[in-house]
Amino acid sequence: MLIDCDIHIGYETIADLVPFLDAPTAELVRQSGTNGLAMPTYPWNHPAGWIRRDLYERGDGHDANFVYMSLDTLRTRHLDPYGVDVGIVEPDEAAVFSVLPNSQLAARLCSAYNDWLLENWLAPEPRLRGMIVVPAQWPEAAAREIRRLGGRDEFVGIFLPGAARIPYGNPVYDPIWEAANELGLPVAVHTHYESIGIAGPITAAGMPDFYAEYHTLCGTGMYGHFVSILCHGIFERFPETRVAMVEGGLVPFVGFLWRLDTNWKSCRSEIPWCRRRPSEYVWDHVRFATQPLETPDEPAQLLQAIEFLRPAETLMYASDFPHWDFDEPEQTLRQLPDAWRDNVRWRNAAGFFRLPVPAAVA
Amino acid sequence: MREVRVPVGDAPSEGGVRIVELDGHRLGLYRVGDAFFALADRCPHRGAPLCAGSVATAVEVRDGEIVLGTPNATVRCPWHKWEFDIPTGRALLDERLRVRRYDVRVHGDEIIVSLDR
Repeated sequence: MLIDCDIHIGYETIADLVPFLDAPTAELVRQSGTNGLAMPTYPWNHPAGWIRRDLYERGDGHDANFVYMSLDTLRTRHLDPYGVDVGIVEPDEAAVFSVLPNSQLAARLCSAYNDWLLENWLAPEPRLRGMIVVPAQWPEAAAREIRRLGGRDEFVGIFLPGAARIPYGNPVYDPIWEAANELGLPVAVHTHYESIGIAGPITAAGMPDFYAEYHTLCGTGMYGHFVSILCHGIFERFPETRVAMVEGGLVPFVGFLWRLDTNWKSCRSEIPWCRRRPSEYVWDHVRFATQPLETPDEPAQLLQAIEFLRPAETLMYASDFPHWDFDEPEQTLRQLPDAWRDNVRWRNAAGFFRLPVPAAVA
Repeated sequence: MREVRVPVGDAPSEGGVRIVELDGHRLGLYRVGDAFFALADRCPHRGAPLCAGSVATAVEVRDGEIVLGTPNATVRCPWHKWEFDIPTGRALLDERLRVRRYDVRVHGDEIIVSLDR
């Protein structure tokens, strides 16, 4: 049994969403700009391409930064050869809808994307499960989208990008947490679009110059959300929801948790709703995706560095397929102790996403 | 079989690659300038199909200036984008890391790739 918590799927162009849009928004997608509606994008480019070259299916002249491949390619190059039983689909360019200045447009694009995903990927391939893409900048509309789709078996959670105007623990997001709690759905916070659109800058130091810097720092938005969610007592108020931190690394969370646990002891009166030490909420409600697994020269140093995260209970395997920095399942799992492997391979994710488990492996 | 023969007319153009099989191994035949080189289709980092990667011209720093190296003499792994020098098989980031190279010679109108080094 293998569950991959981070597979990226994308449309060829945003025009693919037209059949799933209301007529006025479809017209906007076709007629905006000079060549249709353009999304804001990263000012940094990977020097050799964001996508695995052996999986690049766009013709010349298309934007090379975004994922585009056929379902057949996903099956023959990933699901089948690695024996992926369940693949959790995270968005690619659609992650940017959450940081568009126009929240009404964002809400319509999110709904169209979710319907496109359902019809073209989730319905034809039962191994795939979707994360609901929502307009985080308009929490009431996001909650409506969560309730529209959250009861369907094809969707197993809610996607929020690392990029945001305000950290996700803030009460403006309560409608999203209420809907997630009501449906028992987890939220995945995944690095995407930091510094883009209405999102805050990727660091308080200012904008990095290079892609190498950006990709090293891309978890900063996630770290802000992680601490915000804990300090606002989200898991006290919404005990049915869970949060996954996807593609933000593992080691940084150890340092933030140690520091937050220490600060909580001195600042408890400021956040009195946090009745327990912040790390205790993490053990019950937060999980961490493995990719990109940090790779020190001496592998034992990694295990020592992440021990505090209780990795046997909190890590979930993720590939990030088909991005350039993807991790193969066995390459990740063989770096972990035997005793953790089944949990990381599938048990932790099955529990987190509340997936049905075949009797044969249970 | 210790060698495989490719007609010169079927040779890759510079910047391209031709995949050939030799004794059960897949390898990529490359042209850099007028010379041919063959590398194993397996990245020493994580075992990716190296020869599905793009051929590029390396960016180098020489005497403090950023310059281009030998045209089309680098192959970039399709997965994690590590770069290897086609003539030597050495990784640009660490010369101790190498892709397996195969002996290549031109005989008449054939290119002969051999398991012999």
